[in-house]
Amino acid sequence: MGPLIPNGVIPYEWSNIIAILIGIAFGFILEASGFSSSRKLAGVFYGYDFAVLKVFFTAALVALIGLLYMDYLGYLDMGSMYVHPTYLWGAIVGGAIMGVGFVAGGFCPGTSLCAVAIGKIDALVYVVGIMIGVFIFSELYVLFQPLYEGAFEGNITLMDSFGINRYWFVFIFTIIAIVIFKLSDMIRKRNKKIFY
Amino acid sequence: MVNRKLVKVLTFRYTILALILIVLAGGLVLLPKYTKHEGINPEELLSNAISPERYISTDALADKIVNQDPSNILIDIREEIEFTKYSLPNAINIPLKNLLDEDSIPYLNQNQFNVVLFSNDNFYADQAWILCNRLGYKNIRVLKGGLNLWFTTIINPLKPDQNESAEEFTLYSTRKAASMFFGVKYPEQVKVDAPVIKKKAPKKVFTIEKKKKAPAEGGC
Repeated sequence: MGPLIPNGVIPYEWSNIIAILIGIAFGFILEASGFSSSRKLAGVFYGYDFAVLKVFFTAALVALIGLLYMDYLGYLDMGSMYVHPTYLWGAIVGGAIMGVGFVAGGFCPGTSLCAVAIGKIDALVYVVGIMIGVFIFSELYVLFQPLYEGAFEGNITLMDSFGINRYWFVFIFTIIAIVIFKLSDMIRKRNKKIFY
Repeated sequence: MVNRKLVKVLTFRYTILALILIVLAGGLVLLPKYTKHEGINPEELLSNAISPERYISTDALADKIVNQDPSNILIDIREEIEFTKYSLPNAINIPLKNLLDEDSIPYLNQNQFNVVLFSNDNFYADQAWILCNRLGYKNIRVLKGGLNLWFTTIINPLKPDQNESAEEFTLYSTRKAASMFFGVKYPEQVKVDAPVIKKKAPKKVFTIEKKKKAPAEGGC
């Protein structure tokens, strides 16, 4: 049956409309969870608020377990799911740059747009910064190209590269996530409470 | 009044959620595994099998060949000996036992052409059709009746009875024309006009009157 659009359950023409609807829902949830506050987001790095870590980890886990159950029950074909291609160098360098930007600015790209929507001035500055970054990258693309396309690994998943059973992987991943949740709670309790 | 029991339970809500996640993830590990079959599922195969579109009639195929429709690949799945004796024009020979060979896959697994499978009857072609469908190949069809029906309808069409409908006669004439295309000669086609024997023009006889000899005159 699934994925719905490639299998023609939903016509292909609807994909943009569905994307907009999902985007609106995503933005709403981000804002409702308080992710349009840079102080809350930066709390992960300073150890006084781990909501970001918990929300995204939980979302990944729920999606992962849900997809595997749907695949097991035959509602979804995991083989026809989109797997994002891996460019190792691009991922490492880009991830480091984004991490620095995350600590310094207190937003990730998605939450910054969310914060712009509710009129945060720091988010506006952040988005202008993103645009400048995009401009520089596009203009100097020839320079960045070897890095951008370097160490192409194909559309691989962690299961492919480690070669372990995906069900065991998900189980271990769940345990790790819960241990991390517990640890993050302990760290938060040690730290001084900050009101923001 | 606040339900105290509920409050007490809710203080453990994150623990409960964590336990639910662990149980669900553990369930994935413990579930009995089964191997999924590749290719299309049985329901889809059945619906393909009962669809009338899986067959192409001999008339439709003859029409396509006569009009030189470039979108068809004809695949003869009989043995090579039979193929060399007779086959359809421009057919490719892939015997049933070689169907899954690497060389035959490019002909079968593609999206641009309509593949028409045929054998003497449609029995072997049907088997090949099922295999191809199971592998998820598209646009595969079977010649209904195979070469036997091809012979009785296209190559050697039966002349309809005098009191049959007009459609039968038009069908017959189309089939006859098709068979002429495939090189069948009909008596009326090869009939040689009886040689016209030219009558010999009667000779005109010109009678030349001889000049009457002048009677010898006496002279010297």
